[in-house]
Amino acid sequence: MIIGIPRALLYHKYKHLWKSFFKELGIDYILSPDTNKEILRKGSAYSIDESCLSSKIYLGHVEWLLDKCDYILIPRFSDYSRNGTVCPKFLAIYDVVANIFRDRSINLLSYSINPKVTHVEMAAFLKLGKILNKKKSQSLYAYLNAKQVEKKAHLLEITEQERLLQENKLKILVLAHRYNIFDKYIGEPILNILREQETVPIIGDIAPQKEAIANYAQISETLPWVCNRELVGSIPIYKDRVDGIILMSAFPCGPDSLVNEILIRRIKDKPILNLMIDGQEGKAGMETRLESFIDIIRFKKDEQNGRN
Amino acid sequence: MSKGYLGIDIGSISTKGVIIDENNNIKASEYLWTEGDPLKAVKRLLSTLKLQLADSQIRIVTVGTTGSARKLIGAMTGASVVKNEITAHAIGAMSIHPEVRTIIEIGGQDSKIILIENGIVIDYAMNTLCAAGTGSFLSSQAQRLHINIEDFGRIALQSTKATPIAARCTVFAESDLVHKAQIGHKKEDIVAGLCKAVVANYLNNVGKGKKIISPVVFQGGVSKNIGVVKAFEELLGMPVAVDPNSHLTGALGVALLAKKSRVEKDFFFDITDIEFKTVGYDCKKCSNNCEIICIYREDQIIDAWGNKCENGAVH
Amino acid sequence: MEEIKASYPQLGNYCTPLELLFTEGFDVKYIVPPPITKKTLALGSRYSPDYVCAPFKYHLGNFIETIEAGANTLVQTGGVCRLQYYGELHEQILQDLGYRVNFVNMSKVQDTNPLTFYNGLKEINPQMSLQKIGKILPIVLKMFEYIDEAENFIRKNIGFESNKGAFEKVHADFLGDLRRVRKKKELKNTYRDYMKLFKGIEINKPADPLKVGIIGEYYTIMEPFSNHYLEKELAQMGIVVDRWMNVTNTLIHYPKKQIQKRIKNYAEYPWVATSMATIDRALEFARKGYDGIIHVKSFGCTPEIDAMPILQNISKDYKIPILYFTFDTQTSETGFNTRLEAFYDMIIMRKETKK
Repeated sequence: MIIGIPRALLYHKYKHLWKSFFKELGIDYILSPDTNKEILRKGSAYSIDESCLSSKIYLGHVEWLLDKCDYILIPRFSDYSRNGTVCPKFLAIYDVVANIFRDRSINLLSYSINPKVTHVEMAAFLKLGKILNKKKSQSLYAYLNAKQVEKKAHLLEITEQERLLQENKLKILVLAHRYNIFDKYIGEPILNILREQETVPIIGDIAPQKEAIANYAQISETLPWVCNRELVGSIPIYKDRVDGIILMSAFPCGPDSLVNEILIRRIKDKPILNLMIDGQEGKAGMETRLESFIDIIRFKKDEQNGRN
Repeated sequence: MSKGYLGIDIGSISTKGVIIDENNNIKASEYLWTEGDPLKAVKRLLSTLKLQLADSQIRIVTVGTTGSARKLIGAMTGASVVKNEITAHAIGAMSIHPEVRTIIEIGGQDSKIILIENGIVIDYAMNTLCAAGTGSFLSSQAQRLHINIEDFGRIALQSTKATPIAARCTVFAESDLVHKAQIGHKKEDIVAGLCKAVVANYLNNVGKGKKIISPVVFQGGVSKNIGVVKAFEELLGMPVAVDPNSHLTGALGVALLAKKSRVEKDFFFDITDIEFKTVGYDCKKCSNNCEIICIYREDQIIDAWGNKCENGAVH
Repeated sequence: MEEIKASYPQLGNYCTPLELLFTEGFDVKYIVPPPITKKTLALGSRYSPDYVCAPFKYHLGNFIETIEAGANTLVQTGGVCRLQYYGELHEQILQDLGYRVNFVNMSKVQDTNPLTFYNGLKEINPQMSLQKIGKILPIVLKMFEYIDEAENFIRKNIGFESNKGAFEKVHADFLGDLRRVRKKKELKNTYRDYMKLFKGIEINKPADPLKVGIIGEYYTIMEPFSNHYLEKELAQMGIVVDRWMNVTNTLIHYPKKQIQKRIKNYAEYPWVATSMATIDRALEFARKGYDGIIHVKSFGCTPEIDAMPILQNISKDYKIPILYFTFDTQTSETGFNTRLEAFYDMIIMRKETKK
């Protein structure tokens, strides 16, 4: 049996957990490739036009996996807890996929996660193990092991980011959902341009999760979405160590449409660039926008240094 | 004297007129630019049609109008039928191709798909977001490339390797075009790429989720562009029929509808000598500020619309 | 102390029961929000972020209009989609614009505990009494229900009235009289009397009229300006209009469990906001053999966008045409009319061939 994993949306958050879990259980899995033009094109063709770019990319990955595996893993967030909510997309995505591809004999494998309660996640994975015909003890071991791998990977990311913060270059905090900024087609080019411009991108989503969650309310009290809480909560952690902030969103992201506006209105002491990506912009246009933003930061910095 | 039926399709870019006889044969037709003034365009249209009819013994007994200015021109010509362009196009297409299942229509500023089963419209869609991928998009790109829009299709056919162009939005397409030209793509490949982009755009936007079944008929101004026709056939993998009168289908359809209505009232070409004008104003009776449009014939108001509530009614 | 003059943005005709709740329950003066118009939209769009959903813009514009009409206390509710976060940004924008008002954001009350909620409400008027609210609330809720019931009846019949304007006239009188109601008995009598009047209006309805069901996103479906007066347009074409979405069916008696069960074949897991009801109603209208369904939403409404692939499947399975409308702040009137007229032509032709 082979499980197909779409390399999009929650994959970027849970890849270590998923991969280790399946590996430990001896289950084969196949990953869709990095997002490319064709995946986006196919995904767009299957999507309702107004859907957000990230979900179009997701459908492209699902489509790639059809006929290449026995099951496609489509996790979903089960419920809202008192600890925040998720974009409604994550509640609906399982059924959306099932309906869009219903004529393509697709088998979906799902588990429900609640981002804040560890034992609910564990229960979900035990259930997943059961569907895959594994003993409870096996699944439990695999899950706990995978959790360790995940934790290690996150710590590594944080350490690496701390190292980058020491670099003597212009540093730009990039606030973007993990599934956008770590996407090879829509996110990576931005990071590359920033690096080409001799700046160091600092990824907001890498910030220590607990600390970020403890922070967000300083900036926005009623912010409901967990993903955005983590991003907003990373601002106090990094703000004083960066020179500017980029808010990167995938068109027309619902939560970001409000949150970005709040940030622009409330963060007054750092230059902010609101960058909306729709997957159609060429590299040239993107370079121009990022370059001019960085130029402005440099001018301002030079001006200040001159004055001092 | 025999009876004739006049159909006028008046869009934002072009104005089309057709006169049919009792056997539904086209006796006169004309296609010209609206140039932002529908009243004037229709007067020019009527003058030409009148000339074409000069020797025949046809008397126009009813008028139908369609297109975005259908209401205005309907009031001007005293039309017995004022119909939306989707229905008009469907009726027109079915009169030429009774077996048609899918109608692709791309005009100056909008595009539509109409699905037909057993002679009735079962589904349709129109472009929603913007004019990218319609006729005006192609004309402006042609201008940018310094070629005549009439030559566009012919040039596209010379290409063996179409250049991929991002054409979801006119602005992005333009910058992509400049970029592709800079890095040395051949003109014919870019032109072919634009044709393909129009088709891809259409299928992804208007045709999204619609099952395209053969026979497919392609009509509207852009159907005259052989490059786009070829791109459709390639991407759909089925033949696409284009009638010689494909640019007149809407006008033909509404002429047929007018005839079918059996409402007869003599129409005289001399309305070209009458002065018509429209006056738009914002109603001040509530904060809705509806834009009321009044149409005057020699300073006498003949129709008005635009009010959302009774307060704004013009009596 | 300055008199408290509170308000909540306009939605359909619900300002009438809200007025009762605010005046008799919260013990404050209620500013009737000006009706939603072009001006509301212009104001709201000017100060809102571009890509936010249209209801946010309508609310913001209407907040500004109510402030201009004298309100000094504004209330924003919570919700299950972006609505949940409307309040904080609305408050920020109004503050940046220099408006000094008491902005009561019910999203701050994360708890569903009624007492916590009440403490949140107290920000409207610290002097309010639970007793007063408890006394008036059942009447307020009943008034919502009666308005919904009357409007359901109107939608199904107004397209066939013999004397144009008859229903609108009685409807306006009904809403006017409701404003004077304070007691349960009065409410019941008013409702009973007016339903008699509605039912007495002469109509000329064919035996088998065209029937269209309307489904979609909460705000856009209920605020007629935001959907280009879709229901009125349909009525003028001589169509029976059916719409389930209203305050009664969603906020007062939402049959979540039943809906989930009914749509099981199309949606295995529970969704949020109005999308489940959208799917459920589409199924119901399809099963009942309606001639068509119209789906309305504001641009970018995620829950409703996600419902669309399911609606497309329902449309295929039951062979029922569905027309999709997305309204943003720049929807063209011409495009809207063309689509709607073509829809009418299509369903009437289908009906004729069925016969």
